[in-house]
Amino acid sequence: MAKQAGSSTTPEGLVVRVRDLHVYFFTDLGVSRALNGVSLDIPAGKVTGVVGESGCGKSVTALSIMRLVPHPGRITKGEILLYREREKQNGHSIVEEVNLTDLDPQGPVIRSIRGAELAMIFQEPMTSLNPSYTIGDQIMEAILLHQQCTRKEAEERAVDILARAGMPNPQTVVRRYPHELSGGMRQRAMIAMALSCTPSVLFADEPTTALDVTTEAQILDLMRELQAAMGMAIVFITHNLGVVAQMCDTVAVMYLGRVVEQAPVEPLFYDPQHPYTRALLRSIPHVGSRTKARLQPIRGVVPDPYATIEGCPFHPRCDYRKPGLCDVRVPATTQVGENHTVRCFLYTEQGEDNG
Amino acid sequence: MARYILRRSGYMLVTMIFVAVIGFLIIELPPGSYLEFEIARLRQLGGDMAPEQIRALEVRYGVHDPIYLKFWKWFSGFVRGDFGRSFEHRLPVSELLWQRLGFTVLISVLTMIFSWVVSIIVGVYSATHRYTIPDYAITVLQFIGLSVPNFLLALVLMVFAQQVLGMEVGGLFSGAYRNAPWSLAKFIDLLKHLWIPILVIGASGTAWLSRVMRGNLLDVLNMQYVQTARAKGLSERTVIWKHAVRNALHPLVMVLGMSLPGIISGETVVAIVLNMPTTGPLYFRALLQQDMYLAVTFLMFLAVLLLIGNLFADILLAWLDPRIRFE
Repeated sequence: MAKQAGSSTTPEGLVVRVRDLHVYFFTDLGVSRALNGVSLDIPAGKVTGVVGESGCGKSVTALSIMRLVPHPGRITKGEILLYREREKQNGHSIVEEVNLTDLDPQGPVIRSIRGAELAMIFQEPMTSLNPSYTIGDQIMEAILLHQQCTRKEAEERAVDILARAGMPNPQTVVRRYPHELSGGMRQRAMIAMALSCTPSVLFADEPTTALDVTTEAQILDLMRELQAAMGMAIVFITHNLGVVAQMCDTVAVMYLGRVVEQAPVEPLFYDPQHPYTRALLRSIPHVGSRTKARLQPIRGVVPDPYATIEGCPFHPRCDYRKPGLCDVRVPATTQVGENHTVRCFLYTEQGEDNG
Repeated sequence: MARYILRRSGYMLVTMIFVAVIGFLIIELPPGSYLEFEIARLRQLGGDMAPEQIRALEVRYGVHDPIYLKFWKWFSGFVRGDFGRSFEHRLPVSELLWQRLGFTVLISVLTMIFSWVVSIIVGVYSATHRYTIPDYAITVLQFIGLSVPNFLLALVLMVFAQQVLGMEVGGLFSGAYRNAPWSLAKFIDLLKHLWIPILVIGASGTAWLSRVMRGNLLDVLNMQYVQTARAKGLSERTVIWKHAVRNALHPLVMVLGMSLPGIISGETVVAIVLNMPTTGPLYFRALLQQDMYLAVTFLMFLAVLLLIGNLFADILLAWLDPRIRFE
């Protein structure tokens, strides 16, 4: 439905490609390895789910791509490539590759990309809008920054985008302050703000976690609808596998700062390859399952991020681990199907020595 | 908003009447009256007073009136701007006050502006450069500013100004200009003298306010909406000044409300050390000498300023933060 936005223009139909990204937080307690070699492909015009337990690096991945990793975090290795479509004068468009890791995180280039091409919405709609400015002011701020138009035009666009985000009475809401709106309305306002400059990627960091179930369903519908209409890619960060199944075209499963499996949504749910993905799917209840089988939790706990684990990070909890291999080397990313990659020694002999 | 201000003014009026009653009780509380001191002084000078003379004075000053009548006399006079007479200075209180009020307000307002501007800039700088060497240096200065008594700082600066800058210190003017009519040269001379009191009086307040600003801004910088502002692609400068600082100003505004009375009473000790023609030393002496009408007039002024300051701070807060706008 939204394929025209990407697949024909970028080499692999991608809008962002992350390769071997390492982000470390240098704290007083030691070095916390938040990302340990994340490789992730974000296809243009599709919804990519990023799932994993708390602390596995989902949010940090999104913030890294936005180049908003908070202090004391730093990208220590790896690259983030953004494929920007540039309109040429003869009507043809060319695709330009920008390595975001090369940019000054506060410099003008990344700032012209942030908000305009890469936008983000956050988990807490209650706190993600500035309480001192009206909704309209905050949306117009982004529009005026990235597009050349007058204040009046910007206000019209703000009303327009609020209306598209399903906001009732957008003309009055632009003059309202965040505290005058409900949580669901604020998240709609956030979505409107993020989409106001028609970005090519929208990062949604658990956008419905703080909302009640009814509102959550409305917001998810809205995002799906806007994605189809506007054709941007969405990176949907969540720990809710049900939401992933409902929302996403492809899924990346993260564990301890690495993407362990990435696949289109159906193969991932029906034919998971990585032991962690399998364990994750076994640990959630199924509606209509007749057996009285107990849910199977994943054995053990997530190791703390300050610890260094030799080999595959999942091996201490893995039922299939091969001693002498899994606890020594990190498996390489292996292709196991169409657009289906996995990092596990069940599928490859190849490993990487860095730990 | 207008209704809110009106209602608040009503409350202020009621509060003022309470303050007036308490103030009046303070006048009446000490045993004896200034009249007795006055009689004692006259006796000391050699002249004795006939009982009739004393009685005449007592009648004139209403010493034996019932207390509510005394209160009414004083209060109705006060409202009309007749604050009574200073026994010590043998002048109407209002005359004494107006003489000194101009410079007092000038110095206090300049000090407030100075400490606000400096503490916002310094606070923002040290919050955004947390745990860097300049931040540590600022922190040390802030703690020195907080812990060194103002009068000591005043003395140090006076010595410095005299020895190094060769200035004539103390007071607000050089000797040549003290009684001269206003002229450009006199004005420049005033400016030359003003920086010492402003620096001294502003030091501890600035140190404290900039500490508050730093801590508050650090909290606000962790808020999600700051991240949102960055995610929009705004420059760091806009993120800090437009989105963060505005939400970190609340405690400074609250303090503003409480610091208004300081305009007339502020830093009395410093004013005495620096020999400044302000109201602080006058208030101090009035208290020492039981010059009650003068003292209570100050008390009333302080209360009024406190109330006005709080109203002003609340209005400013409402302007700053839409969540606390009324009605």
